[in-house]
Amino acid sequence: MRYLSQERARFLLVVAGRIVPAIAGMEAEGVSRFFGIIDAALGDRPAPVRRQLGAFLGLIRWLPVLRWGASFDRIGARRQDRFLRWLQRTRLRLLRQGFWALKTIVFMGYYGQPELWPLFGYEPRQDGNEALHA
Amino acid sequence: MREVQADIVIVGSGAGGGTVAKELAPLCADGVRIVVFEQGPKLKDEELTGREIEMASRLYFDSGGMLTHDRSMTLAWARAYGGSTTVYTGTSMVVPEHVLKKWDVPGLAWDDVRRRSEKALAENNVHLLEDELINENNRLFVAGCRALGYRVQQFPINVKGCHGAGVCNLGCPNGAKQGTNRVQLPLAERQGVQVVTNATVTSVAKRMCTVRVRSRKFGEPSAWEPGEYIVKARIIVVAGNAINSPALLFRSGLGEYLPALGRGITLHPALILAAQHDHPLTNFFGFPKSYYSDQFRDDQRFLLETCMYYPFTTAKNLNGFGEEHEAMMRHLQFQQQILVLALDEPLETNRVEIGHHGEPVVRYRLAHTVLDSLHRAMIEAARIFFAAGASRVHVPAAETFFVKREDQDRLEALVPRANVRPGGISISSAHLMGGCRMGADEKTSVTDAWGQVHGFPWLFIADSSLFPRCSEVNPYVTVMALADRVAERVRERFKELGS
Ligand SMILES: Cc1cc2nc3c(=O)[nH]c(=O)nc-3n(C[C@H](O)[C@H](O)[C@H](O)COP(=O)(O)OP(=O)(O)OC[C@H]3O[C@@H](n4cnc5c(N)ncnc54)[C@H](O)[C@@H]3O)c2cc1C
Repeated sequence: MRYLSQERARFLLVVAGRIVPAIAGMEAEGVSRFFGIIDAALGDRPAPVRRQLGAFLGLIRWLPVLRWGASFDRIGARRQDRFLRWLQRTRLRLLRQGFWALKTIVFMGYYGQPELWPLFGYEPRQDGNEALHA
Repeated sequence: MREVQADIVIVGSGAGGGTVAKELAPLCADGVRIVVFEQGPKLKDEELTGREIEMASRLYFDSGGMLTHDRSMTLAWARAYGGSTTVYTGTSMVVPEHVLKKWDVPGLAWDDVRRRSEKALAENNVHLLEDELINENNRLFVAGCRALGYRVQQFPINVKGCHGAGVCNLGCPNGAKQGTNRVQLPLAERQGVQVVTNATVTSVAKRMCTVRVRSRKFGEPSAWEPGEYIVKARIIVVAGNAINSPALLFRSGLGEYLPALGRGITLHPALILAAQHDHPLTNFFGFPKSYYSDQFRDDQRFLLETCMYYPFTTAKNLNGFGEEHEAMMRHLQFQQQILVLALDEPLETNRVEIGHHGEPVVRYRLAHTVLDSLHRAMIEAARIFFAAGASRVHVPAAETFFVKREDQDRLEALVPRANVRPGGISISSAHLMGGCRMGADEKTSVTDAWGQVHGFPWLFIADSSLFPRCSEVNPYVTVMALADRVAERVRERFKELGS
């Protein structure tokens, strides 16, 4: 990764596994494609946006300390989900928007992999009309 | 800096720029030098792969995810040979008369816009898709609307030789969609207009502009060497779209002469909604967008259209995460989708500005009335989904990820208005309008009814930024109609200005 430190990338994978559970079980190739897509997307974005992502990951990691006395990676799956649901719904707009952006990046890294499309039944064809009455 | 002499410069090659280029092209026979500058690339046919992330990053600005300043919306526009017509779906609508009345631009008559729109429809092969090519996603929308007694109409569309790849918004791999990249620009080029891709116009000044040409790893090479240029011209027509045209004029220092510059943009804020059926459908096969309903246009201020998006776009538009989200994504073939477009008012505070580096900044606050419309639209779309047979519907503002069929009578209670909050749900826009609006008053508008910038006889605007209010229909035909008018005036002005 050019735009996220190894540590941040490792943590991103932990959070991503709660956002799309299949990511937690992804093979090395899938993980590398996941980071490849995210890295390229970050490269296209202005530097402040990249910094904000890094900062937001830091927030996700440490905010749970206030509630559960442990960082995100140590609070267990149920609490992790509860915390992420709170981020999604919170009245604090910046946190809500930050989580929306993070989710978007994770979805991009996973659902943007053409290799995985058959898993979702998405198999587009150039001659789609032929499939209409198949 | 290299210096180049032209006669007419056109900035942008989309719906507006492409139309102006085609209309002015016959002048080339008299030795008039016309150059179109397009900041995006011209992709080779084989580069149109239909792969979502790759196409988004090559064809769209910020991969289609440009954020408004308050980060509550993403804006999609293409930067490419053909502009957003390269990625549009191609639904082709004539702006209704009541909209032109609201626009209230002295000298701009609906009959004139209609006549020019019809010219664009003919040029772009606009027709209704044959019944046997309508997929189930579209048929279900019709069935749902009819069951509820809602008005539903078929979209006229502009394809030729469409094979139903279903990836219109990623650039048609079959070259079927009739954008300016397929129709107007090639025609203009054949007559002698030069289109320079990968070329950004950085500023305009009296009878000249500065241009930066770059190289890219993909697409056809630009007709000009990479570098900085000064291009002299008698007339400059700016058609960079509702975001870039105001930004270019600001960058060029014209803001102080044009108090309305950048103001009153409208975006048709949009939601993508999805429901699940118990059986697979044909949804991503075939032409994606064939029907719409304007049942709620006048009282609730929204339109409903069919749509079908790709995996990443779909995923990001479903609210929530985790197992339910993943389960819904694993059944893409079972999904029916509807697009909502809110009809927003042109608020003065919703505007385009520029940032420290001259880049466009879009300040757009989602008004309460727009959020109300989006809320009503979620509920009405859910009714249509259920009436079409969906077993469960994902309503982004609902308390739960799915609203089940047995709960359909409780939609009002299950989808609280309070949950429709900026930043909580995915709201996007692909209909960017206003910012250089037409009008008679120099204080409240930027151009006259023929697209000439007030006080600058050599400078014209010919794109969606001219709209004084939103179009209440999909906008590209209206952009072409206005651009056609602007081209007519440019031809006259060109003679008046002499050499
Ligand atoms: C995904 C999508 C689907 C759509 N579907 C439909 C549809 O079905 N029906 C419909 O009616 N409308 C549709 N639209 C909207 C329609 O495409 C636009 O309204 C229309 O293309 C706007 O025309 P324009 O000339 O204002 O700008 P554009 O077509 O966006 O063209 C502007 C061009 O100018 C270039 N440019 C900008 N600034 C500069 C500069 N400084 N130097 C050089 N080049 C510059 C840009 O790169 C761009 O290529 C869709 C839009 C999108 C994004």
